[in-house]
Amino acid sequence: MKYFIIIIAICALASGCIAPHAVSVNDALKSAEDEKLLWRQVQKEQEALNNSGFLYHEPELENYLQRIAAKLQVHSIEPDFKIQIKVLKDPNLNAFAYPNGVIYIHTGILARMDNEAQLAALLSHEMTHCTHRHSLRVIRSIKGRPAYIAAVQNAMARISVVQEVARLLGATGSMAAVSGFTRELEDEADQVGLDLMVKANYDATEALNLFEHLKQEIEAEKIEEPFFFGTHPHVQQRIENVRNWLTINNIENHGVVKNSAEFEARLQRVVLANARLDLRLGRFEVAQKTVAKYLKSRPDSARAYYLFGEILRQRDHQNDTRTAVSYYERAISLDPSYPEPHKAMGLIHYKEGAKQLAKKYFETCLLLSPNASDKAYIQGYLKNCKLSGEES
Amino acid sequence: MKKLISLLICLLFIIGCASAAKERSLKKLPDAGFSVDIPDGWWKPGYTNKFLITRDGPYIQYVLIQQRPLDKTFRNTQKKIRSRMLPQEAAGIIIDELASDRYLMNFSVIENAPATVDGHSGFKLLFTYKDKKGSEFKTLYYGFISEDSFYNLRYCAAVGPYFEKDIAGFEQIVNSFKLVNDKAISDQ
Repeated sequence: MKYFIIIIAICALASGCIAPHAVSVNDALKSAEDEKLLWRQVQKEQEALNNSGFLYHEPELENYLQRIAAKLQVHSIEPDFKIQIKVLKDPNLNAFAYPNGVIYIHTGILARMDNEAQLAALLSHEMTHCTHRHSLRVIRSIKGRPAYIAAVQNAMARISVVQEVARLLGATGSMAAVSGFTRELEDEADQVGLDLMVKANYDATEALNLFEHLKQEIEAEKIEEPFFFGTHPHVQQRIENVRNWLTINNIENHGVVKNSAEFEARLQRVVLANARLDLRLGRFEVAQKTVAKYLKSRPDSARAYYLFGEILRQRDHQNDTRTAVSYYERAISLDPSYPEPHKAMGLIHYKEGAKQLAKKYFETCLLLSPNASDKAYIQGYLKNCKLSGEES
Repeated sequence: MKKLISLLICLLFIIGCASAAKERSLKKLPDAGFSVDIPDGWWKPGYTNKFLITRDGPYIQYVLIQQRPLDKTFRNTQKKIRSRMLPQEAAGIIIDELASDRYLMNFSVIENAPATVDGHSGFKLLFTYKDKKGSEFKTLYYGFISEDSFYNLRYCAAVGPYFEKDIAGFEQIVNSFKLVNDKAISDQ
């Protein structure tokens, strides 16, 4: 029944047809039996998520995120749980918080951030959902309202995307990740989050820049993601809230901490990893932008040039192959011991019928990586190249 | 006496199941762009229009054969298999599609190698994944590009003895696979 109520809540919130009044944060929320039950439920959901193979593991990045969260948490109301930050291998623009203090950030949103203040804006918003017990408040506001539950049952059938994601994340995660909370609670997370940013000496105007930047990207790329930060009304709501808050608090350019050298260093690998995820999804233009961003800070990266080549080779528009070749050549010149661009060059020449040229690249690839996972294919190409050479 | 009755009921049930399975077993799949020989004991569940067959029930093991038009966008990615692609490139697209599926947890490719099906150059993938409940499955997947379609034949079963048990049956099915009116082959 508890699970059912949560699902109902998700669907109702996502459909936007009914906005339940959330109970206040002061309504004796701590240590009640329903919160314990909720925690047990979310622990199960998290266990499934943590064992799904979707977690992105990079200890330096995780430590860094944890330290930023700790910096913000000093100024927050003291929760009786530890805030934990985890990263999910997912190129969609999203982040969500579980009521027990575990926050999941997608690689997609991390890869789009420009500075540490923007990261602090995201973390402080999500932390507020935990510290102010937003999940519990939503569930309590819905319990005991059968007419309300009946009214949203019709909405459930229409929201197949929500149901799909709900199956993966579980009910509580879906509430946080897909629908967001009620407008009232999201407003609270925005305001408290901005306050935390300022108290931790971060430039709060960067929150506005982050959300504006995400909105532009969603519109430019026509991204249709059923997620909190990926839907236009939600990101627009964030922008309005931040703008109002900055005006009311007379903050034009708080201008204290905006960035740190550590931000750039720690985020580099996740940027490239996310470009690979976008490439895997066939989101070639987004992947291209992300690689270009990476190359600005690491102009001598053979891996980035190889990835650029892969994006074009796989997209296969007019002239893409030619341009891909120039990127592979650049990657080879930057790091001749990197086998992947040799193989890619071999494939291009092989398909074009330039078998002897292909042979040279395939042989180099196997020399550099004798146990390549696709060794059997390369050996097959070499055999055909050899036969072709004998015929000619 | 009670024990004897229970034993008789069990025996009748087993015999009943065995004969029902035999009745449902097929030698050929219904009319399609291909033909395939089906070993004894495999049957097609009535609830699906797909070319799906099983021996002990689809949740234990199944063989699925699919024909997919080229240039059709996949469900999880925005990628397409095109006629000019090498088998390795087509295999890459299938891996990307599976790795992007939110329902396949811990997806892991064990083998990705060239293979031939009905004289067509193709690929063979062996991979494992878990469902949300944590049950682990293993799949052997053959794929190849013909003139206007991408064909795939897969065998999926729970990891462990179940997978090993019917792998020979699946290989028999793959070896018997023939495209009907295959221009590419008949022209040769």
